Amino acid sequence: MSVSSSRKITLILGAELEKLVTLPLIWLILMGTFILNLVLAAAFTSAGLQGAAGTQSILKIGLASMGYLQAGFIILGILATCSEYTGGQIRTTLTTIPWRGFQLFTKHLALAIVTIPLAFIIAASGVLYAFIMMKDTALVIEIDAMIKTLVGATGYLTLTTLLSAAIGALLRRTTPALVVLLGHYFIVSPLLKDFLPSIKNYFPDTAGYYMYMPPSSDEINVLTPMQGTGVSMLWTLIFITVAIVFYRKRDA
Amino acid sequence: MRAFNAELSKLFSLPGIWLAFLIGAFAPAVIAALDSTAQKEKIIAGVSTRLSEVGYIGLALGVQGVIILGVLAVSSEYLTESSESGGGNQITTSLTVVPSRFHFLLAKAGAVTVISILLSIVAILTTVSATNLILGEYAPAFEASRLIGAVCYWIFTALLAFGITVLTKNGIIPLAVLMINSSVVTVSYLLTKVTKLAFYLPDKAGFDMFMFTSDSFHTPFTGGLIMFAWVAVLFIVAAIVFHRRDVTS
Amino acid sequence: MLTINNLVKHRGTQEILSGISFKARPGRVTGFLGPNGAGKSSTLRILLGLDHATSGSALINGKPFAELHNPLATVGAALDGFGAHRMRTGRAHLRWIARASGLSRSRVEEVLEIVGLTNVAGKRIGNYSLGMGRRLGMAAALLGDPKILVLDEPVNGLDPEGIRWIRTFLRERAESGNTVLLSSHLMGELEETVDDVVIINHGKIVANGSLKEVIGNHSTLEKAFFALTSENTGDVV
Repeated sequence: MSVSSSRKITLILGAELEKLVTLPLIWLILMGTFILNLVLAAAFTSAGLQGAAGTQSILKIGLASMGYLQAGFIILGILATCSEYTGGQIRTTLTTIPWRGFQLFTKHLALAIVTIPLAFIIAASGVLYAFIMMKDTALVIEIDAMIKTLVGATGYLTLTTLLSAAIGALLRRTTPALVVLLGHYFIVSPLLKDFLPSIKNYFPDTAGYYMYMPPSSDEINVLTPMQGTGVSMLWTLIFITVAIVFYRKRDA
Repeated sequence: MRAFNAELSKLFSLPGIWLAFLIGAFAPAVIAALDSTAQKEKIIAGVSTRLSEVGYIGLALGVQGVIILGVLAVSSEYLTESSESGGGNQITTSLTVVPSRFHFLLAKAGAVTVISILLSIVAILTTVSATNLILGEYAPAFEASRLIGAVCYWIFTALLAFGITVLTKNGIIPLAVLMINSSVVTVSYLLTKVTKLAFYLPDKAGFDMFMFTSDSFHTPFTGGLIMFAWVAVLFIVAAIVFHRRDVTS
Repeated sequence: MLTINNLVKHRGTQEILSGISFKARPGRVTGFLGPNGAGKSSTLRILLGLDHATSGSALINGKPFAELHNPLATVGAALDGFGAHRMRTGRAHLRWIARASGLSRSRVEEVLEIVGLTNVAGKRIGNYSLGMGRRLGMAAALLGDPKILVLDEPVNGLDPEGIRWIRTFLRERAESGNTVLLSSHLMGELEETVDDVVIINHGKIVANGSLKEVIGNHSTLEKAFFALTSENTGDVV
């Protein structure tokens, strides 16, 4: 390549970032997620406040909305890749950036850059709300445990977003991608948890759960946060790789 | 009637509708089968606390199929993703064929209702046979009144999805909200812990038509009535908005 | 220089292109003609690296599209449809393209001016008319000021003024030594714009040469076209 490769990466990354931030729907979804998360945090907190005083974990309650919150990030990921197929934008993308694997990889990178700070802010807002509302009744929490948990939650949400983007790139249509992902995260996976407890830890969402949930003693066969991260990351990487392989082979 | 037939054929020719059919017809049976298998020992021993839910849990969660149906019926009019064409606004064509917007909406809702009824009947058949197959003589009897409640729940849910999508014009948000809210632990359920008013939410009220659990709040009949009221109000709002709106905006 | 060499494309069991070969030379406007579904767009999509050829090659200055160092500055392409997400504004659309090739934002304003979209650049693309969408496609094609232009049905949806603008614009581009390849099914329009003509029907080239050669004994390009395309199709157009 005559233009230096590193410059090219910066240029393409810039273009992918610009594509993401100029999509109004993405901001709408993120704002909606933020607001809904606060509403849910409020609901969980008020449900938690009715419980016995002094036994509540702020972290657990602040992050209880994670299960729903991840839906916003799943949508974000799907939108990032499926929006290429609206109005035939993919043709423009590929005539501008014909290096397909490179382009799709950069798109995931750009998505991660956008997601990480937002995931942190949104996850932290829930915990903060719980903290403010419950600081009198709840157990004291240590700052480093809180940071560890929030970093885990951010990582989990980012990996979920990237995984959803990869599935979106594979399926290319918003509706089936949404049905598959929401179906897995909200219906299949919770059911499997009851029916097949032996393998449940190896799904991306259940493994990812251990990235942010403080360990509790009453559960058996749990993963450490590191193991959880590993399993989750492996899933994401596999799906991104598969998406790239198909993307390169397929007619646009 | 012609408009209704046109809507039916439009729905059947939609790519992606097979997903709705597949999920609607078989997901309830699969879920019910899994649940029955997990519960079998307890049921045989006579200690199951969830005997009244067996089978119905599949019908409660399998409602996803008609959610997709209701959403797709509307969102497909506005935007189709395709790499070939630049995304079509089928709504323009539809409204020149059926100029009365109210009739158009009614015909579409009618088509969604009919397909939902058919799907729910198929789902009930597969679910009941799956449950009977696994539990044999221990399978609970399926009462007609509860099954009718389940059918109503499916129809109303499909129409809710339909109405919300008319308002948003975009399938993503209604699909996400409704799918999540009919999942294992719903947001509505969470809200019932906070306020009793949440029992009047459409899905919570509709549940009482056929899910007889310890936390049932309404009788099946009032539950159905409340859910129907939601559907009716939503449909009226959707009709008014749809009537006033410029097609292209 | 664009070189299409023995291009074959299968889609499922269907053969869409069966051995297409032709060239588009610098300094000339080459018209790529054929009825709907003849394989025009498929050829252009393969040329631009969007679809993969089953066999054969489509080269740009001797290279496949994906091996170009700076595609936007080498080939400007406008395919059918808008090629843009409906929720973005026209300006935002052009800006990300410019960003990807390291072009300045002022270049975006320049091309908006050239195609006459400056006034609506801040509007969502979903609200554009067909003609405005075509102009946006042209703007994207011109961003990198490329030596080669590949345009699929460029006059489709344009008003008379726009058609005249495109005609003179393409003639000027060719006369200053650039290569222009455009597909169309509008004969009358093409006759006044092109130097060379390639006619495709059912995935095969049925005529290839200068405008004069292809017209031959017929009085107009249109008559020549129907004579050539009806010979092997019968009544299907």
